[in-house]
Amino acid sequence: MYRTTYRALVRFLYRKVWDAERAEDLAQEAFARALVHKPDNARGWLFIVAANMARDDARRAARERRHLTLLTAEAQESNSATDEALEVESDRARVRAALEDLSPRDREVLLLWDSGLSYDEIATQTGLARGAIGTTLSRARRRLVQAYEAGKSGKHVARG
Amino acid sequence: MSHVDDGMLHAYLDGELAPAEAQGVDAHLAQCPGCRERLEEERALIARAGELLALAAPPDREVPPFRAGDVKPPARLWWQVRQPLAWAATIVLALGIGTYLGRGFEALREPETAADAEPARPQALETPLTPERARRESRVTVPGATRKPPAAPASVPAPATPERAEYIARQRAAPVAARAEAPSAQADSVSLDGEHDVLRGPPISVDSARLLLGRDPLAVPGAPIRAVYRARQLGYSAVVIVEQPLDSSTVIEVVNKRASPLALNAVVVAGPRPRRRFAGRRSRRKGCRSTATTPRRSGSANLWPAAGRLPAKAAAAPPAGEAVATGP
Repeated sequence: MYRTTYRALVRFLYRKVWDAERAEDLAQEAFARALVHKPDNARGWLFIVAANMARDDARRAARERRHLTLLTAEAQESNSATDEALEVESDRARVRAALEDLSPRDREVLLLWDSGLSYDEIATQTGLARGAIGTTLSRARRRLVQAYEAGKSGKHVARG
Repeated sequence: MSHVDDGMLHAYLDGELAPAEAQGVDAHLAQCPGCRERLEEERALIARAGELLALAAPPDREVPPFRAGDVKPPARLWWQVRQPLAWAATIVLALGIGTYLGRGFEALREPETAADAEPARPQALETPLTPERARRESRVTVPGATRKPPAAPASVPAPATPERAEYIARQRAAPVAARAEAPSAQADSVSLDGEHDVLRGPPISVDSARLLLGRDPLAVPGAPIRAVYRARQLGYSAVVIVEQPLDSSTVIEVVNKRASPLALNAVVVAGPRPRRRFAGRRSRRKGCRSTATTPRRSGSANLWPAAGRLPAKAAAAPPAGEAVATGP
């Protein structure tokens, strides 16, 4: 349970903090908290806590710091600069930008689904009706792909 | 059945529809080419979104082993430090009490040694009787050495140590002498060897000595204690002798006395020959300075029959007589 959920949690957190180490730290902390509280639905509970922590983290982190993190990450990447690596990095940045184009609710549902949560779990977590999850997901996926393609072709997609 | 909306299609493709719902979708798709087409579009969309998200996946790292002990929640912090804290508090408390009691004890002892001794000492030197008495009370027994030069004081034969012992003895004895001069009451006193009036009794433990004296028996600091004896002396309710070897040939006897709560003098005076008693006592003291044996005999014969039982200690005390003989 720890192994699979940990990966999912890191994956989920990474798309929020965009820093692998920070995501791992937060995931560890979420597990540590789960040990204390021993929630009934540990998996769902972990994602709720992780989402809260990521939000707090984002609030706490100064914009400059995140910018610096991004710069250092890019610097590291550019050191081992192969074309492929650059391509991967630019793809990642585009996906990130595309994700940030989504509405918070769409993004949350999409990320939770991609992290392996079921519709039931997503519904519990987001407070949405279970029947609304499919609709939200379909919208989020569509927008994500559209925003990504728009970014790739150099166009700026109107935000909203 | 109406057409399947996007949400339903995604839920269908995600495998999140209830079996009954899924069957309904299956049935509709079987007869609706438009919805089948849309189904494939959505399937591609889902796959594409998944690919994109995979691009933004974190670097695939090793899952760190989860060690529950490593991450302790802050809520437990207090429980973690509670026991160490308790130990620390106990130690601090013990040290504090120890220091406090230690100071209290020193404060109790100080008047006997420093505070009393210094004002009393010059006075003791001025008084004609006092120096002798102080000397007498503070003599250090040197069993081997004293036999050689009869004229020399006891402190001479032995090198530096007896002098020091005598100095300490003076310090200790001075207040005793000063107090002893007080007419009526004989106070608690401490003196060194040479007390012929003291009847040495059986060896006792330090605890018993403490019980007898009502305080800690005093001893010369730095010297080991060989034995503690109970003793008796007229006018004192308790006498304790602390025997301390200074070196191989020198033994210090610190005589701790507790004043009798009763006026024992008066009690004894009520005996058969009060006048003689005083005279005898005087003469005994004087005689004690000249010869070691005679006064003891007279003293024991006249006043204190128990003195007849004076043990070997009496014989072992010749230095007393000799040393005193050199006094003024």
